[in-house]
Amino acid sequence: MTGGSLLEVPLLEVRGLTKRFGGLVAVKNIGFAIEAGEILGLIGPNGSGKSTVMKLIMGIIRPNAGSVRLAGEDVSGWPSHRIARRGVGIVFQHSRPLHRQTVLENIKLALLPDSLIRLFADPEVDGRARAIAERVGLDRVVDRRPATLPFADLRRLELAKAIARDPRVVLVDEPFAGLTSAEVETFSDLIRGFRAEGRAVLLVDHNVKSVAALVDRVLAMYLGERIAEGSAEAVMRDETVRRVYLGGSIETASRPETAFADAVPLLQVEALSVLYGKAQALDHVSIHVHEGEFVSVVGLNGAGKTTLFNAISGLVPYSGGIRWGGARLDGITPAAIARGGIVHCPESRELFGDMTVRENLDLGGQHQTKIERAERLQWLFDLFPILQSRQSQTAGTLSGGEQQMLAIARALMMKPRLLILDEPTLGLAPVILEQLSKALERLRRTTPITVLLGEQNVTFALPHADRVYVLEHSRIVWEGDPGRFAKEAGAGYL
Amino acid sequence: MVGLPSSSRKSRSLEPAIVRAMLGLQILIDGFAISALYALGATGFTLIFGVSGVLNLSHGAIMVAAAVAAWALAGNPLFGTYLGALLGVGVGVVVAFATYFIVVRPIQRSRAIAEVEKEIFILTGTLLWGIMIQEAIAYLYTSNPKTVRPLVDGVIGIAGVRTPINELVTAAICWSVIGLLWLLVNRTRAGKVLLAASINPRGVTLLGFELSSVYLLVWAIYGVLAGIAGVLLAMFLGVSSDGIGPLTASAFSIVVLGGLGSVSGSLAAAYVVGYIETITAYMISPAYRTIPVLLLLVLVVYLRPQGLLGRR
Amino acid sequence: MIALRAITRSRLVWISLLIVAIAATLPLYVSAYILGLLTLAYYFGVFAMAWDLLFGFAGEVNFGPTFLIGLGAYTAGILNSRYGLSIPVCVVAGAAAAVAGGVLLALPALRLRGPYFGLITLVAVLLLQNMIVIFASVTGGEIGMTVTDVLSIDETENYEYALLFMALSGAILFGLSRSPIGLILQASGQDPIEAAALGFNVAKHKLAAFCVSALFSGLAGALLIFYLGTASVGTVVDISVGVQVIIAAVLGGRRTILGGAIGAVFLIVAGEVLRPLGELSTFVVSAVALAVILFFPAGLLGMLMRGREMR
Repeated sequence: MTGGSLLEVPLLEVRGLTKRFGGLVAVKNIGFAIEAGEILGLIGPNGSGKSTVMKLIMGIIRPNAGSVRLAGEDVSGWPSHRIARRGVGIVFQHSRPLHRQTVLENIKLALLPDSLIRLFADPEVDGRARAIAERVGLDRVVDRRPATLPFADLRRLELAKAIARDPRVVLVDEPFAGLTSAEVETFSDLIRGFRAEGRAVLLVDHNVKSVAALVDRVLAMYLGERIAEGSAEAVMRDETVRRVYLGGSIETASRPETAFADAVPLLQVEALSVLYGKAQALDHVSIHVHEGEFVSVVGLNGAGKTTLFNAISGLVPYSGGIRWGGARLDGITPAAIARGGIVHCPESRELFGDMTVRENLDLGGQHQTKIERAERLQWLFDLFPILQSRQSQTAGTLSGGEQQMLAIARALMMKPRLLILDEPTLGLAPVILEQLSKALERLRRTTPITVLLGEQNVTFALPHADRVYVLEHSRIVWEGDPGRFAKEAGAGYL
Repeated sequence: MVGLPSSSRKSRSLEPAIVRAMLGLQILIDGFAISALYALGATGFTLIFGVSGVLNLSHGAIMVAAAVAAWALAGNPLFGTYLGALLGVGVGVVVAFATYFIVVRPIQRSRAIAEVEKEIFILTGTLLWGIMIQEAIAYLYTSNPKTVRPLVDGVIGIAGVRTPINELVTAAICWSVIGLLWLLVNRTRAGKVLLAASINPRGVTLLGFELSSVYLLVWAIYGVLAGIAGVLLAMFLGVSSDGIGPLTASAFSIVVLGGLGSVSGSLAAAYVVGYIETITAYMISPAYRTIPVLLLLVLVVYLRPQGLLGRR
Repeated sequence: MIALRAITRSRLVWISLLIVAIAATLPLYVSAYILGLLTLAYYFGVFAMAWDLLFGFAGEVNFGPTFLIGLGAYTAGILNSRYGLSIPVCVVAGAAAAVAGGVLLALPALRLRGPYFGLITLVAVLLLQNMIVIFASVTGGEIGMTVTDVLSIDETENYEYALLFMALSGAILFGLSRSPIGLILQASGQDPIEAAALGFNVAKHKLAAFCVSALFSGLAGALLIFYLGTASVGTVVDISVGVQVIIAAVLGGRRTILGGAIGAVFLIVAGEVLRPLGELSTFVVSAVALAVILFFPAGLLGMLMRGREMR
């Protein structure tokens, strides 16, 4: 490689990258280039394939087609550790430091050569590790063990390990997840430092807004494909991006809160906080749902929607209060909560893949009498006709949309008083969304059901909602009528 | 692994072709009975793994505990063979529950043990528990081999091959129990929940079923299966506390060969193992009977770690 | 020489040295019988420490430590009894055979996870056991074989050999675990993906861990039979021997290396103290081990060290 060509060849160049998992195309013909001293933002909602792209570059998984070039050298198909040695560093979102070693030792680990005969580290390693610790702001805790550190410091440690490798290309997964705004500032400065040093940086995140101040360019993905590329402003203005995140024009049909007669709301969540290890997943969240009401909680992935629903269903420990019909829910098992009428249809669907559609539905109806069950089944087949024709097919062989319908139908078999729907649109094609949307609309018009819907797709969440909460970084930041959403909260959502 | 039935059935001076045909038939019959027993023993083992992710290394000890209880009780004129056998199965259930409550559940619920390490803790814990049962049996009843009087005495000839009726009864009981288990899992409500829990435990919770009750049910079923398998083994080939390790090992091999958690895989693998062992024992030498299976196991684990019929 | 300084600063190291020094004086005032027991315990201690390097650091659950031990023991034994080679040559050959076995085990370990690898290690032991029985003319089969030479006929000398061997092995294994290699190994065991992303060839490091573990298992196995004068399936190959090794390591404290030696001495001493119970002694030892696993999962040394780590 000659010095002249180095200037022309981008540091990282990805071409025609494609990855299939079974029948699912997770990444489809993605290509981009990052120059030295440039930051590219790779954004997309959950399931868009952005994390897969990162793993493909790092060599953690192998691509089906396409190439990854580092300063002109094709590294696609190489094992991870060789790609790392060629100068690619990664900052994982979830850190797993060595718990029995100090912070300094953890940084030193990243400075070690890949050698079997170095029984003693070079003397300068200690000095370099300390310098890196100081750069990321860990200098005062170098002798502590990771278990005693606050969350932000654990993220700093991950950053320190990446710096220690002195990579030419840095991949950062969700750089700001779980951080306070002050911490976001320091982390942004650290990442700008990478750019100033002439490294190529790839930031992977859910939305443009969180990385807009940092990136030189943005590439937006949806369902494995590139949908837009350009400056942060241009991507935020892009029609396709807006449609993916916000949807088109939305007609709402909300009923005022006063229309619901119950004096005490059916579900009251008061000052709910959840910690995952050291990360604050929910911070004093309060919401309520009236009997018969349709409430949507919108927020990006990672905002805390799933955690909120898991807490209500008793699946994660929390502080604060959750009341159901006035009675506290803490100490009650998840199964008892479900039998009590709060039925949760999770993002992951949790179907019984090897059992038939009918068996899945029957299991949902096991708490009912035989006659009730038969009536319920008939009604559901009416709501989702496709399920009737698929009755004897195993759930695992259904398409994504059909699986989602089955998950909702199975939840409805339990005769819920409150149906919690978490991210039902995840990874589904627009035409399926329309079918689901129609079914929800019918549900709302023809039954007195109470629904709590969590969505990142605003187009899907707003039309049926009576009331909307916006969840951002573990907190409720807006509450109101869906008609006011676009004006008051929509801008901050992209 | 277990030895062959000791009754010698060599034909005297017949034509070589006929001798070969009869040997083939004998392998067919013996292999069938042994395999049925293996299948029953392995089914419980795989069920527990499928539903609760537990690899229970005290499996052989539970089987032998049931068998020795049946042996001790059947010898008492108060109980006799049939009641003794039944109570032996009961002891199997009791020991299975003890395994769950004393060893498995405390580890599953422990906060001092990291999630990723629970598997090795359950393996080590159940192994130690199995040794305790083994030592207790040896202390109370010595480690001498024990044979329980078969449910049915007598011998019949099948196309010239003299076969103890007990061998046929054993195979029949094994398959009846496996059939009942199939009915339970596929035709009853509780069974459906159990099946669902083996596919997706979280989904079961979300539908309002308590996983803790599902686990109790599966350990009860496991106790019955291991108990029956143990008692039948004692009637067919005899058991001893020294045979506990090989029993666990053979159940483990069958289950891995068939695919962890796959009941149909275990049934198929039980027959593969049963027949390979029988053929090796008759055609080569009883001393080599376990070796081909071990080699097959290594090969399968290398080439197809999910087992013959396992799903990934 | 930071690592060296860290080691000399560690209180654990000084305490261990003190204990070894005291142990060296034992022949002055304890009976030959007790020395014999401790000699056995020291060899077991090396088995357990070698196992802990694989489990505690590389994250590989090896249910068949006796595959490596047995390879070392029988290779050395056969070379000595059939070909009359000298003890040092036999021990080196035994260790080499164990390392070859370690490489053989490492190959599936790098592909398989969890119970599958554990099963392979169990199968390896069963196969070895079968081979020994089949080739009884060479190995003595189930009865076992007698080696021509022994290390020494003097209990004190045997004791000092074993102590020296354990102390050296412990020092090397412990030093390795605290060295850069130990750090990389721990990172590979904990999260292979992250370790690879930091540029470490996980396969290479794990393979090395298997070789080192096998080397010490094989050495200890070979030396053990030259102490006992015999090699048999029941003493160096049987699965129950492997179980004892694992129990010793877990009891002493996983990921501590030195805990393995403590666990081994504890197990053998406990077995002796409980001897009056007769056949029930194994029962009680297993029950105690189970109780430790259930109530003190960090093990004996792990518990002692935990307080210190929270500084």
